Amino acid sequence: MTKQANTNKIIKTFDDFYNIIDIHQYKNISFHHHLRNGDYVLNMVLNHYLEKKVNNINLYPSAIFPSYSSILHLLENNQIDNITTNYCNGPVAEFISNNGLSGKLTMQTHGGRARSIIEGRSKIDIAYIAVPTCDPSGNAVGYLGNNRCGALGYPIADSLHASKVVLITDNIVDYVDSPEIKSENVDYIITIDSIGDKQGIISGTTQVTKNPIGVKIAKNTAKLMDELELIKPGFSFQSGAGGISLKVTDYVKETMKRQNIKASFFSGGITKYHVDMLEEGLVEKLYDVQCFDLEAVDSISRNTNHIPISASQYANPNDPLMVIKDLDIVILGATEIDYDFNVNVTTDSHGTIIGGSGGHSDTASEAKVTIIVSPLIKGRIPTVKKRVTTITTLGKNIDCFVTERGIAINPNRKDLLKKLLNSKLKIVPIEELAHIAHKYTNIPKEAKKRDKIIGEVEDRTLEIIDYLYLK
Amino acid sequence: MSRSYLFIPGNTPSMLQNLDVFESDAIIIDFEDSVLTYDKDAARILVKEFLTKFNFKEIEIFIRINDSESPFFKEDVLLTNDLNITGYVLPKALPSSIDQLLKITDKQIIPIIESPMAVLRLEEIARKDQIKGLLLGAEDLTKELNINRTLEGTEILFTRSKIVLTCNAYKIESIDTPYTSKDDEQGIYKDSLNASNLGFTSKSCIHPNHVDVINEVFSPSQEDIKQSLRIIKKAETNTKGAFSLDGKMVDAPIIEKAKRVIVQAKKYNLL
Amino acid sequence: MKYSAGSYESSDCIVTVSTHSKTDIIIESIVFEQFGDQIKDVISNTLKEQGIKDILVECFDKGALDYTIKSRLLTALKRMEE
Repeated sequence: MTKQANTNKIIKTFDDFYNIIDIHQYKNISFHHHLRNGDYVLNMVLNHYLEKKVNNINLYPSAIFPSYSSILHLLENNQIDNITTNYCNGPVAEFISNNGLSGKLTMQTHGGRARSIIEGRSKIDIAYIAVPTCDPSGNAVGYLGNNRCGALGYPIADSLHASKVVLITDNIVDYVDSPEIKSENVDYIITIDSIGDKQGIISGTTQVTKNPIGVKIAKNTAKLMDELELIKPGFSFQSGAGGISLKVTDYVKETMKRQNIKASFFSGGITKYHVDMLEEGLVEKLYDVQCFDLEAVDSISRNTNHIPISASQYANPNDPLMVIKDLDIVILGATEIDYDFNVNVTTDSHGTIIGGSGGHSDTASEAKVTIIVSPLIKGRIPTVKKRVTTITTLGKNIDCFVTERGIAINPNRKDLLKKLLNSKLKIVPIEELAHIAHKYTNIPKEAKKRDKIIGEVEDRTLEIIDYLYLK
Repeated sequence: MSRSYLFIPGNTPSMLQNLDVFESDAIIIDFEDSVLTYDKDAARILVKEFLTKFNFKEIEIFIRINDSESPFFKEDVLLTNDLNITGYVLPKALPSSIDQLLKITDKQIIPIIESPMAVLRLEEIARKDQIKGLLLGAEDLTKELNINRTLEGTEILFTRSKIVLTCNAYKIESIDTPYTSKDDEQGIYKDSLNASNLGFTSKSCIHPNHVDVINEVFSPSQEDIKQSLRIIKKAETNTKGAFSLDGKMVDAPIIEKAKRVIVQAKKYNLL
Repeated sequence: MKYSAGSYESSDCIVTVSTHSKTDIIIESIVFEQFGDQIKDVISNTLKEQGIKDILVECFDKGALDYTIKSRLLTALKRMEE
């Protein structure tokens, strides 16, 4: 594909852009979610599709956040056929759960999305990519500029493979060094006043838990990792930005300091806690696909060992550079987990869509030890069920489930169980954890059977591992 | 003997139903400061229903009732005396208020020493029947003395020492005051170590995240355990009353102490 | 007159009672689908135990366990008596 020469890519306004491009011809469109709830760009673009009554849209946002109200309006007007995404939360999620789509909803993983785009399964006509900083030729990064968001891991595959690549920015500089999005892939640059609202871009919710139940779960996880001898020189580790995961990271840090251990890398979503450990010399490299706070964002530009990576390099199983194939430990959450260790983070127990895999299934599939941390009971709902409402990550990829009242180990992991034979921790079968929960909650009534399929959960292997149903 | 005593608010279901999660040796369910005046009835009923439904074999459960001058004192006891609890923690304790409590319960009592008069009459208090131990309430005490609380605790050193001495002499538990700074992990450690070094057998806390530190500090160390095992082993094969180990004399009191360490180590799963 | 007990905190509920022409139980719960029937049973069994009829019980539930629902009801009833 030939892209335009460097000089004439810049377009002053969206209106000028729509004069050049007939959007009715381009129905498969993609966005990224690095600006999270602060994103102005997605709504700006889609409101135009709404006005111009573009029908049969196929949407490929890497995630859908509560502020993405234009999607809701398009759905209400029945202008969208299919949505393919990795995470969906808020009014759009509720609407789809209650009404379905005229086509279907496909829930992918971060690695799976990149793979689908690269391998041509997801054909994107226009990738609308909000970038916090770019140069006039279209070299762009996410970690510079007033509305900086950090690594731009998710839209890189889009920029390489979409028919038309449109950058939207509020900050054009003379020259961008080592760009994440490369000029040779960029067709147009649209300049606007502001791509987003700072407050919403950096959520500020990444805090270590102080809740005593959460602290207890983190403590149990730390003790488990200790007994399994997982914290050893050169180990690699990923923990999300959840409060319990971060508390686990805190304990891992203590252990590393006490035993003078240095880790090789941390990967995934990066927070100030990970940055601190990099700066204290406790870990060699951070492979960052997404930043969760400003400290993480600013660390990229000053520390060469804090490396932004693409979603493909992060988690695409067919990417030879995939970082997580060397991952030793990952700490993940769960809305539900079942007797086969299948984990759900896609729907709540009422069947409403509340999230999605993101990198959950990717990292669980690759890491040598996958640890799920969750309270045993949430608002009277036991976390353990016979069968989860929706499978996000297959049980064969889950090894340990840690709660405040005990730990279950996947029976397939005989090696781990052997190591824990003389454990001081309360190691029990997962069914026993369900019984403990039921002593408090009693057995919840099964949700009514639902049979109208509205979407599917597609694993990074391309296998359909579960279906989503109309509520 | 309990190392840790964790206060749990009596009218908060989310805390109550998790009281066994935090691994505190003893729990003090609170009817006093953490329960609003108009909710005293609600707390009693909640705790009664809770303890009727759930059983805790491994944990000693106490209830901190309202003080004997308050209108809630009697009903706090009468409504809970049949429950499966170890005893009561009595705030603003004095010899006379303990007498009042003794009249209505045969369960164990932990008086809170939180007034200058109680400090002066410590022995009298310790000598009463059914006393399990004395708990220092430094916040109220220093308030009455109109002095500031500090982390170092110089202002309560005399009281702490007096409680330790008295409890030791009367063979009851000495329970240190809670550390009130919730998130200061260094602080709770130092404060616990300080109390343990002074001779306290236990420490109370108002935040679940403090329990682990207290348990660690008030447990016998691995070296203590190892040495005690050696002493007991040698004592078993030794027919004389005293013997020498590593060039040091070992006699009956030292053997007794070693046995106590092992009992504790077994109880706390440290062997 | 209405009499209440409990709180809006997680794992708690607010139970409100008032005299009524017949016995009615109204439940609003974040776990209604899973535990609505169970909550209703706890309330009606407690009323039976106490020998109480012709009462309106409103329960606003934030995931309370049975013992909490029962004790909040008992407290509200006691407050009505007094």
